[in-house]
Amino acid sequence: MRVEERPGIGGRRRISWFPYLSLFLAVLWVVAFTLYPLLSALWYSLNTYVLGRGIVGFVGLGNYREVLASQEFWHSLGVSLLYALLAAPLETALGFGLAWLVHLRPPGYRAFQAIFLAPLFAMDVAVGYLGVTLFSQQGGLLDHILRRLGLEISWLSSTWGGLAGGLILDIWLWTSFCFLVSLAGLSTLNEEMYEAALLETKSSWTVAFRIALPVIWPVLSLAFLIRFLEALKTFGLVYALTSGGPGTSTLLLSPLVYLTTVRFFNFGHGSAMGFLFLVLASVFIALFFRQLRRVVEA
Amino acid sequence: MRSPIWRSLSFWSRAFAYAFLALWTLWTLLPFLWALVNSLKAPVDTFSPKFIPVLDFKPVLDNWNAVLRDPNVVKALRNSALVGALSASLALGLAVPAAYALARHSFPLPNQQILLWFLSQRIMPPAVVLVPFFVLMVNLRLIDTVLALVLVNTTFTLPLAVVILSDVFREQSRDIEEAAQLDGAGEVTIFLKIALPLARDSLIAAWLICFAFAWNEALFAATLASDRAVTLPFLILASRSTRGVDFNTAAVNTLIAILPPVVLSFFAQRYLARGLSFGAVKG
Repeated sequence: MRVEERPGIGGRRRISWFPYLSLFLAVLWVVAFTLYPLLSALWYSLNTYVLGRGIVGFVGLGNYREVLASQEFWHSLGVSLLYALLAAPLETALGFGLAWLVHLRPPGYRAFQAIFLAPLFAMDVAVGYLGVTLFSQQGGLLDHILRRLGLEISWLSSTWGGLAGGLILDIWLWTSFCFLVSLAGLSTLNEEMYEAALLETKSSWTVAFRIALPVIWPVLSLAFLIRFLEALKTFGLVYALTSGGPGTSTLLLSPLVYLTTVRFFNFGHGSAMGFLFLVLASVFIALFFRQLRRVVEA
Repeated sequence: MRSPIWRSLSFWSRAFAYAFLALWTLWTLLPFLWALVNSLKAPVDTFSPKFIPVLDFKPVLDNWNAVLRDPNVVKALRNSALVGALSASLALGLAVPAAYALARHSFPLPNQQILLWFLSQRIMPPAVVLVPFFVLMVNLRLIDTVLALVLVNTTFTLPLAVVILSDVFREQSRDIEEAAQLDGAGEVTIFLKIALPLARDSLIAAWLICFAFAWNEALFAATLASDRAVTLPFLILASRSTRGVDFNTAAVNTLIAILPPVVLSFFAQRYLARGLSFGAVKG
């Protein structure tokens, strides 16, 4: 994403309308459909909204106070954080490990690469739904296999089972992303570096962790932050697997905002939750952009 | 050509590496295969531990027939395809000129900052703007329309397309463009007649990536639609909550939902790393 500052084509500096118009239209679109909704969400979060009548009264921080006092918000927040804190590191580690092995170009590595990338664009809702047929205690594949091994886990009827099931599916789906980024990062290393390293050490672990990992660390840390943020935002995967149950014990933040908004039409609370969510995420978004600047400007 | 590291590995290290690769291959393919097997089972075989079609059980296409004849599925499939294709086209229509401008011109603000600004729209939790989008679509009388979903998905995929394509244009040779300029061609002509055709493959790849994102989007699909504009993710979420899961139908539904973007993305692999890592990685 390196941008060179250059004058226009051919070096002639003249103001022309075409690039300005082109950029303006895209910027206008994003402003209209992001900044405007964001500001109006802020407004909704400060008001009481009644369906059919619209905004009926300004309540200041009342919605925030109520959301912050509600147990289900803190529960969903905790569950989402836990989910992201487990999913992101596991996926990053697995993705790097697999990428390193494929990067060594063992026989058949192209086939491995294609297979490992296959889940990348799988619809998360569908994966969660498919998960029901894997974890179900009435004929689910994984349950069947684990039973043979003498393990009985109530995947879909317990909080921890549901979360573990969601995590397993998340790892199945998104390790592919970390694999992809790691592989692209590793491709910037050249053979001579390895030849030289092998003169110094006999251990391939040393080469992997002392040479390859530090080189791709900036990019890998970005993959980690992207995965962390995306896991925090997870909507469809766990929701399709557990419907948030048992009760609402596996309801992550995005589904909670969704239900509050669409099922209960509590727009004030929905917007306030959204903003609290944004505040939390912005810490990691800030980290992400700091790291991204470093990487692209390096 | 094996890598020098691979050649330096002992037999056991290689065996260990292979075991790990094989295990992950199995793990990746198993859910796909399981769905495929279930989709071919007659209801009597559903809960029996039979895994290999033809040998273990008689494969039937009844489930596929039933699902693909279900008017709700047909409608969702058509809506999903429409939302994906229209929003990807609209996003590209806006992103391509903008990306070209960012690659060829310098603006009063550093181009780098402009790109990062585009990205910041993409990484924000979309749940924040759920309420305003809902109210906006109600006010515009677009609730439960395909158009509403097209507008939303265009917004979410546009930044992605700008980042992918500004890289593509920056790396594209300018020789022909400069020659055309010496011959007196205008900027718009150069863009349309030279830059665009040269970038054709990348444009297709960017389109496919945007299509896949829009196809998979569930939060707004479930919020802004209720009947006419129902897409596949919403159909699946709704069927999960109304009845228990029928394995065979679920298998067909998930395959229909999962396969199109997965298959299409194989054609865009070169651009994936760059696009999905927000331009941080050169693919």
